[in-house]
Order: sequence, then C-alpha cells, then structure tokens
Amino acid sequence: MSKKIFSTVLMSLLLMSFVISTASAETLKIGSMSPLTGPYASDGTDIKNGVLTAIEVFQQQEGGIPGYDKIELFPQDDVCDPRNAVAAANKLINLKVVGVIGAYCSSCTIPASETLDEAKIVMITPASTNEQVTDRGLPYMFRMCGRDDDQAPAAAKFMKESLNAKTIFIIDDKTTYSQGLADGVSKNSKALGMNVLTHDHVNQGDKDFSAVLTKVKAAKPDILYMSLQGYSPAALMTIQAKRMGITAQIVTQDATFQPKFMEVAKDTAEGVYLTYGFTDPTTPEYKAFEQIYVPKYGKIAAYATYAYDSTIALLKAIKAAGSTDPDKIKAELMKLDFKGASKHVKFKANGDSGSSYIAFKVSNGQFVPYWDPAKGLIK
Amino acid sequence: MDSFIQQLINGITLGGIYALIALGYTMVYGVIQLINFAHGEFFAAGGYVGVIFLSFFAGLGYMETHPVLCLTASFILAMMYCAYLAIGVEKIAYKPLRKEARLAVLLSALGVSIFLSNGLMLTQGVYVKAYPSELFQGGLNFGMITISYLQILIVSLTAALLVALNLLVFKTKIGMAMRATAQDKTMSALVAIGSNNIISLTFGIGAALAAVAGIMMGLYYGSVNYDMGFVPGIKAFSAAVLGGIGNITGAMLGGLIIGMVEIFGAGYISGEYKDVFAFIILIGVLYFKPTGIMGENIDDTRV
Repeated sequence: MSKKIFSTVLMSLLLMSFVISTASAETLKIGSMSPLTGPYASDGTDIKNGVLTAIEVFQQQEGGIPGYDKIELFPQDDVCDPRNAVAAANKLINLKVVGVIGAYCSSCTIPASETLDEAKIVMITPASTNEQVTDRGLPYMFRMCGRDDDQAPAAAKFMKESLNAKTIFIIDDKTTYSQGLADGVSKNSKALGMNVLTHDHVNQGDKDFSAVLTKVKAAKPDILYMSLQGYSPAALMTIQAKRMGITAQIVTQDATFQPKFMEVAKDTAEGVYLTYGFTDPTTPEYKAFEQIYVPKYGKIAAYATYAYDSTIALLKAIKAAGSTDPDKIKAELMKLDFKGASKHVKFKANGDSGSSYIAFKVSNGQFVPYWDPAKGLIK
Repeated sequence: MDSFIQQLINGITLGGIYALIALGYTMVYGVIQLINFAHGEFFAAGGYVGVIFLSFFAGLGYMETHPVLCLTASFILAMMYCAYLAIGVEKIAYKPLRKEARLAVLLSALGVSIFLSNGLMLTQGVYVKAYPSELFQGGLNFGMITISYLQILIVSLTAALLVALNLLVFKTKIGMAMRATAQDKTMSALVAIGSNNIISLTFGIGAALAAVAGIMMGLYYGSVNYDMGFVPGIKAFSAAVLGGIGNITGAMLGGLIIGMVEIFGAGYISGEYKDVFAFIILIGVLYFKPTGIMGENIDDTRV
C-alpha cells in the first residue's frame, strides 16, 4: 500500500515538474523584493500587492506581452536586512527574472542592486529614498519615489514657513534611510536659521520611547521631528508623546504615509504633519489602480502606488523592447513618458524620476494635502 | 529633578512588565532546568487575545457601559488561553524530550518559538493591531511630572500579581509541591507529588503572567504586532539571569533593574545605547556573581 502511495506521489511530482517546465517557456518572470516578515512586513506586503495589481491591470489593459501567456511574480522577503536582500537578489538571478521591483529599505536596495547589476537585471525601487540609491551610477537602477535630499529641504522649509518653528528636536532610528533623512533635515533646518536642540537616536524595533520623550518634554521644542522606519514606531511614538503631554507639533516623513498610522494612533494622530510625494487621487490612472487594489487588499498604503507604477513602467518597457535584453529594456525605460497612478513617469539620466514632496496633515483620520513648497497652503 | 522622577516612573512601568515575563522563564527553569525560548510568544499571544476580546466587547458596546468588567474578562480569558497554550506546548514539544539531552529540549523550544510567532503572523496578519483607545485616558499631573492612569494600573497590577505569586509559592501546599519538584523530582514523586501536574501548573502560571504582561503592553503602547514577543522575551530572559535564574524574587528584581537601566541609559546618555547598558549591567553582575544577584541559595527558593 505504502509503495503504491509512494509511486503515485512520485508520478504526480514528475508530472508537476513537467507541467512547470513547459509552462515556464511562455512565462515572463519578474521579481519583487520587500520585507514580508519582521517589523516592516506590512509595508513590504503593500509593495508586493501593488506589483500584483499592476500585473493584473497590465494584462487587462494592454493585453499582456506578446510571446508570453503569463506574467509571474516571484516575491522575495528581505526582512529589511541587507544580508537577506543580497541572498534574495541571488535567488532572483537564479530564477532568471527579467526585472526586479524593490526593495523597501534603502539599506537593502543599495547592496541588492550591486548584486543585480552584475547580472544586468533592471531594478526599480518604489520606496527607497536615500540619495545613494541612484547616486552610485549603476546603469540598471531606477527609482519611482522621491529623494531624501529633496524631502529634507521641503520638510525644513515647511517647518520654518508654515509652522513658524524656531526650535526642533529630531529623533531617528538609525537606518540608512531614517538617519540619512534626519541628518538632512537637521542640516537644512540650521541653514534656514532654526535651532536644532538635540538630534537623538532610538533603535529599530523599540516600543518604549518614554525615556527620549521625557527629554523632549524638558527641552520644550516647537517641533518634534520623527524620522522612523515604518508607520508603526511612528504611531507608538505619537501616542506616547501625546500621553506624556508633549505639546510640540509633530512632523514626520514618508514612511508614516500609511492609513494604519491613524488606525493605531487614533485621535493622537490628529494634527501630525508629514512629507510625502503628491499623488492626485482623481486621475483615471489612479482610479484604475484603486479599482483592482482596494477590493483585494484593502486601503491603499504608503508605497503600493509607487510599486504599481514601477511595475507598469517595467512591463511597458519590456513590451516595447520586444525582448528581455537588459540594455534594450533600459533604453525603453528611458524613453517612457506616461501618466502613472502616482505621478507622471519620466526617468532622468541617473534613474530618478523626480520628487514632488508636499506636506500632509492628518485630519479626521485622513492624510490631507496641506502645504506645497512652491505654492504655500493648499486650500 | 522633575525629569529624573519622570524617568523613574517610566523605568518602573517598563521594569514591571519585564518582571512579569521574567517570572515565567525563571519558574520553568527552576522546575525542569529548561530555558523556555517560546515564553516570549505566550506574551505576544496574550496581547493578541486581549485585543481580540476588547475589540469584540467594544463592538458590542459593552466597553462604554462596563469598561472594568470587559477589561477583567479580557485579562482572565487571555490568561486562561495562554496557560492552556503553554501546557499544550509542554506536553507536545518538551515532555517527550524530558529524558533526552538538555540541548534537544532547548532546540525544541526555539522551534516552538518560531512556530508560534509565524502562526500568529499567518492567522492575525502582518499588520499592527490597535487596542481600543478609550481605556484609561489621562493621568495625574504634578508640575512637569505626568503619571498616566495606565502606568498606575500596570504598576499596581504587577505588584499585586507578584505578591500573589509569592504567597502561592511560599505559603500554600501547591507552592510547597512546586518547590519540592524543583529540588528533586524523584524524591517528590515518592511522597505522592505528581510531577507532571506540577510542571504543567508551572508552565500555566508562567504563561498566564506573560499574558497579563502582553495585555498591559498592548494597552500601554496602544497596539500589538505578531513579533512583539521576541525583544521583550530576550530582555526578560536577561532579567531572569540577572536576578539569578530559578529565583522568583530575583526575576522581579532583575526585571526592574533591566527596565530602569534601559530608561536611564536612554534618558541620560543616549537612546541608541540603552540595550548596551542593560547588557553591560548583566555581564558585570555575572562576572562578579555568576549565579546572579539572588542566585546563591538556589536550592531552597527556586521554583
């Protein structure tokens, strides 16, 4: 009996491998890389969902890519850990993917892109805002989101001009992204004549901020600037700050742009400001994305929209190139000029696609566009 | 000075939570000499059961009419759930290995920890779950010092549980049986103490305390997430070792010390090195006193 079961299992396994190998001949493989477990699992899952939505929409609207029946995604988990990111990059190279969407953390995108570059695989990051991502001159590295050296001046200008701040207390959690941005905000704020009282650090994964917030309370700054990786520590810090009776205005950054922030911080989130790239939610492109995304995955969060646009851009370029040759895909990516869900997509020579940072304010549980560096208050 | 007192209050609150978790490590170690690495997951499970029931009660509208009753019910349900979870884990993953080398059980414990943490992720999702916020808003203000009602709740509940546990272990027959099993399983079996029951009970009590800590953590920080058990688990384990593993009073003391050092390290030196200070204290104490602060009379008081 057990022999029979064994042979059946063996047969079906053989059959399965046969099916897979025949199917793969007509499957276009793309990879994604983001934290699917660990403290940033939610942000990473948003990215994966954005990519999946893009594949679906692309197949519906553009009829897929000629020569392939199917576009398959191989999502990799990097846990926001550089070592895992490099391992994931190697795995994707072995899977022979045509392009990679990712990663979330700048500290992962930077090493993973070096590995992918050796194998000449195009990488488009939807979320890594650190300058080094595109400043290293890697030929196959692209970026859909903005840059921190655009975000930091926008944030500093906002605090100075709109909030009339004189003193700032900065806290970061020491990741490539969060510390890089906090340093930028500190430098820009000083340049604008504001006084940076303290620039303190916490650790990734901390939950208790009572010690550092006691310092904030004693320092009585006008602004508490939080640069933390992910919405969840930002929500925790906001709750604890308000509970402690800190009256400073809280300003934070793009990693907090997640509806879950308000769900966790609830009424303490009201009146928190943050900088994020401007996206017009009324365009037909955004609506097309929203229609597929929302019923399947719920509220649209931080980087899902950029992940969606990154994938659409990659697929458009592959289709236009008519081949999987990386140099042809790169050439087509550079030629792209289309309206995406998040913004108008057009890559610059270094792989960036421009920043559009504005300040948002949390009011009635929503992120409401509040202030534009070029135009001032948004009515 | 104001900020010193504020930091002291912060430290006691955090230390109290660590102490509650540390008790589970120390009790289990006392009875079967196992470092139960899955203990942090019981803490996380407690936090989740708490949020599930509190949200359920809030949905029914009972939270507004009977907040204290709902909270008490959630605490009791979470404690029961975690106690049974821990007893089940012990029966499935540790008991069959009790006669094997100690390393085998340790690896089994690590495996259970990963299993439970991922199980929590798969069933509850990767997103942070928020606690209903209407509970215990506000606090007492003394000039620059703020003591929130939640901090008062946490500290007083922790103190009450510690006293109750001490009474249980040192003043009751069950406690005597636990201490006897800890000292010598064979001998205690000869005087008709069912060591299996006592071991189950120890796991259950430890996990129930962790569940209370889990809910308090959820209330205090406003949310829970599936991997919340890992870091406090490690800290509480360090607290248990610092106090002298196997010693109940030591675990309480160790928890308080780790909590305080963390808060004062972050408050007066720098937030990025707070864990470093906690572990420097641990290494320093173990260097001069390898059995931990209270670890000398380990045979008499351990559970």
